[in-house]
Amino acid sequence: MEQFEPKLVAFVCNWCTYAGADLTGTSRIKYATNVRIIRFPCTGRIDFMLISKAFANGADGVIVSGCHPNDCHYTSGNFHARRRWMSYNAMLTFMGMDPERIIFSWVSAAEGAKWADIVNQSVDKIRKIGPFTEYQKLVQSGIEEENFNG
Amino acid sequence: MSRIGVFVCHCGENISATVDVAKVADDASRLPGVVHSVDYKYMCSDPGQTLVKDAIKEHNLTGVVVAACSPRMHEPTFRKACATAGLNPYLSEMANVREHCSWVHDKSEQTTQKAFDVVRAMISKVSNNGALEPIKVPVTKRALVVGGGVAGIQAALDIANCGHQVVLVERSPSIGGHMAQLSETFPTLDCSQCILTPRMVEVAQHPNITLYTYSEIESVDGFIGNFKVKIRKKARNLDEELCTGCGLCTTKCPQKKIPSEFEQGLGFRPAIYTPFPQAVPNKPIIDHDNCTYYKSGKCKICEIVCPTKAIRFEQEDTILDIEIGAIVLATGFDIKRSDFFPEYGKGKYKDVIDGLQFERLASASGPTQGMIRRPSDGQIPKKIVFIACAGSRDPAKGIEYCSKICCMYTAKHAMLYKHKVHDGEAHVFYMDIRAGGKMYEEFVRRAIVEDHVNYTRGRVSTIYELDGKLIVKGADTLLGAQAVEIEADMVVLATAGIANEGSEELAQKMHVSYDQHKFFAEAHPKLKPVETNTGGIFLAGACQTTRDIPDSVSMASGAAVKVAALFSSDLLTREPIVARVNRIPGPSHSTCVGCFLCQPVCPYQAIEREEIKDRAGNVIKSLARINEGLCQGCGTCVALCRSKSIDLLGYTDNQMHSEVLSVLEEAFV
Amino acid sequence: MDNLRKKAKELLESKSVDLVIGYENGTNGKARAVFIKDPEKTGKLIYDERCKQNLAVYLNKHEVKHYGRIAIVAPLMVMRSILVLISECQVKQENITVLGIGNDGSFLDFQSMEVVEKYISKIPLGNPEPDQVIIDKLNAMTMEERREFWQNELERCFKCYACRAACPMCYCLRCTVECNQPQWISAPAHPLGNLEWHQLRTMHLTGRCVSCGDCGRACPLNIPIHLLTMQQAEEAFHMFGVRAGTSMKADSALSTYKPDDKENFIL
Repeated sequence: MEQFEPKLVAFVCNWCTYAGADLTGTSRIKYATNVRIIRFPCTGRIDFMLISKAFANGADGVIVSGCHPNDCHYTSGNFHARRRWMSYNAMLTFMGMDPERIIFSWVSAAEGAKWADIVNQSVDKIRKIGPFTEYQKLVQSGIEEENFNG
Repeated sequence: MSRIGVFVCHCGENISATVDVAKVADDASRLPGVVHSVDYKYMCSDPGQTLVKDAIKEHNLTGVVVAACSPRMHEPTFRKACATAGLNPYLSEMANVREHCSWVHDKSEQTTQKAFDVVRAMISKVSNNGALEPIKVPVTKRALVVGGGVAGIQAALDIANCGHQVVLVERSPSIGGHMAQLSETFPTLDCSQCILTPRMVEVAQHPNITLYTYSEIESVDGFIGNFKVKIRKKARNLDEELCTGCGLCTTKCPQKKIPSEFEQGLGFRPAIYTPFPQAVPNKPIIDHDNCTYYKSGKCKICEIVCPTKAIRFEQEDTILDIEIGAIVLATGFDIKRSDFFPEYGKGKYKDVIDGLQFERLASASGPTQGMIRRPSDGQIPKKIVFIACAGSRDPAKGIEYCSKICCMYTAKHAMLYKHKVHDGEAHVFYMDIRAGGKMYEEFVRRAIVEDHVNYTRGRVSTIYELDGKLIVKGADTLLGAQAVEIEADMVVLATAGIANEGSEELAQKMHVSYDQHKFFAEAHPKLKPVETNTGGIFLAGACQTTRDIPDSVSMASGAAVKVAALFSSDLLTREPIVARVNRIPGPSHSTCVGCFLCQPVCPYQAIEREEIKDRAGNVIKSLARINEGLCQGCGTCVALCRSKSIDLLGYTDNQMHSEVLSVLEEAFV
Repeated sequence: MDNLRKKAKELLESKSVDLVIGYENGTNGKARAVFIKDPEKTGKLIYDERCKQNLAVYLNKHEVKHYGRIAIVAPLMVMRSILVLISECQVKQENITVLGIGNDGSFLDFQSMEVVEKYISKIPLGNPEPDQVIIDKLNAMTMEERREFWQNELERCFKCYACRAACPMCYCLRCTVECNQPQWISAPAHPLGNLEWHQLRTMHLTGRCVSCGDCGRACPLNIPIHLLTMQQAEEAFHMFGVRAGTSMKADSALSTYKPDDKENFIL
């Protein structure tokens, strides 16, 4: 059987993780091709609804990454983001949706190697968990209903 | 309908070696909204940019996607190209297919597919881009230089000589930094203080420089051109206007045996002191921890003897608020001390000293008047072992990097020793001799050939004391790792240079990045070595990595030019990446309901309250408004706003939403 | 009860307030909201265990807002809601008179909002016990079981938004669910759209929910959606040490932070 190749989207801040991922490139460190990076100015800009949109549109996993605490380019965006993620994780857990498909990390502009590790670990993890079929079923039922209504 | 042009770059072979660029361009040409799609060897080159400009005109493009390197690299290039061709620069986006794709993946279908997915996502984003106009903000033409070592001094002088105001802040009681502590400097062996002190005096006397010594940065708010800095001026316990610097207080102080920081603990100072005779300013401070009066409430001898009655025991720290346009960080470095090395006695052998201590021993103004005497008994050592790379290039010690200055100063130390103790023996253990620099290699050669310094390639595994001698055990790797044992009278460790104490906290106050060793991070390792990622904050000297005097000075001048360039115009053009609260026709005026939960979230206090009034002047609605001069575009308020009433220009909900949807479309992986 | 009516009458007679919002006897033995402008009608006011509705929801309604000064019968949940609304600039502190109801049903005469704050600071806060029991039960389930539970429950939702209308904190002019540029929430009432809607509601109430339970009571299908926001209220307290509706300051869980907030999942 062919190996399952998960789709991941990474929401990263411009100043730390995006720059860190640039450094991964400059350092020519190889990592899995499964992740697509989306640049935000700051983790504080990342709306939790974008994460659920990613899942609704076929992502098997989402990486959210930004500056380490105290290192935010805007001082406190990552602190606000952290509270948002803590709340989001708590909600998902209570709703029976294991937040394991969302990988949160702090990757600084100097941590090119860490970025490669985070990507590879995340891809491995999601590959093990498998495709997000539960969510895709929800999406499918939505499409069917819409077709029926329309 | 959008008319998007897609430009896929080969970057020589950097992208095309692993990504099928022609296929990406071809596939992109079939995407909805794309009217032009090409690939080219070097998009950033002149002909490459012309390709973009011509296409904008020829195809009447409404958006441009350049698939090339990181936008952190060339976004401004292509925005400028668009602008010259008459397209609003913010209608262009870059797809990062180099750093995030071709360089991190092998050549494969997946790599090409990934590149295409990223291009498609950016096409989708750019279709939702809007034309934006840059924001103009005024510039405060006053620079802040943090750190008064040679780099800070140079930067301050250069900026001041360009006709701009400079505030120089130094946390110790005098400017001068480590360079003031050095005896002679390589490769010319000229006296360090002789060349530095005139510069120090120039700083003190320069009409454009305001000097705050014994002061620290309390906080930094604001942004490029418009920083608001709080400086804590610590109490010197002195009326600085009255003090003439006669030094009578320091000679009469009953506390005389306090280890001197300036002398690296090898000499003593009183409780009221100036760190060294040439200190600038030449005004003492009182060390509360060791002052008899602060400890017991009695003494006050300094107050009694002071001829101008300048002592102020009750003086408190003052906080100064200063508006600043640009900042140069020149906070320098520190070195590991001998207690960092368990194998070399963990600091308990008095005669195992570090490089800065040797500088003080060799200095004519030092505790031994320039005679090389060992700290334990004051004897002149007949045999000294110098150990280079003590801590540096040693991953086991957490310091992988080369400290860069030690090879040269070790050669200098050995040479100075031989010049002072003619019958002495100098041994150097080294890993490699790194003497890159004008006259550097020649200098090391001179130490070996003319001054007969014995160089042994190898590391020292252990040092222990035996009968008043230090037994140094090492290996000579050029003789097949043959064991070497030297009975030395003194050992000098060329310990690793490290980030200065407090650099992490300062970086956090300044919102600049730092590397894993807590050195401040430059914006680009090659092309922006003096800039930081934070606009308006520049780096000079060893706070970025350990470096020698000529390097520090040239970097300081570089930073000064950056500041002068920033100050060359009255208005600063800022990226229009700012948040905005939506406005709709009355009676709602905005979907904002004025809950103002966004206010505490904003790090820049940029969210104001706007009141909408009816004709009679009654307030009918309060809603949030973003001050575009203060907003830095983090977007934290945008994600917080429940009613989606705030959006971030350049990263709007529509843009981000479409990017997420489109990056996940169809074929993937 | 007499004290409550007396105070309400006094306030209207002296024109200290323009409107009293309280509970009265409705049909079928139920209690319902009443809006009194005439001091002579204050005899209608009641308070007993049937009076469960969170009256604070009316404070932000267009029809009520223009009355200016309002007295409101306020058991604990209503008091807390009022504090949230004040902290979010939705009602003016000086326009509200709280006709407080103690946990034992007695009338509490509060002179000012500061006294209300002080009163609340002394009472143990949390979710109503029956709801917390169900929450604990849900938390004891496996992830899989919980998912099934919520999937079955939320599947039934047909997006009437009664929960939104009942909640005093859902006062936005345009709810994100109605935003179609971009379309954040799938519009139809299918499982995905329902899940997205309830996640949105839950997140938007995190740190702001006072656990009144009105959303759940308003649901015509009896979907226990109040458990979602109640659980988040409890989580916010555990994670950040904040409870909504305890002060007039704008310091809700998600609009503030501490540099040392502790989590265990960020790599």
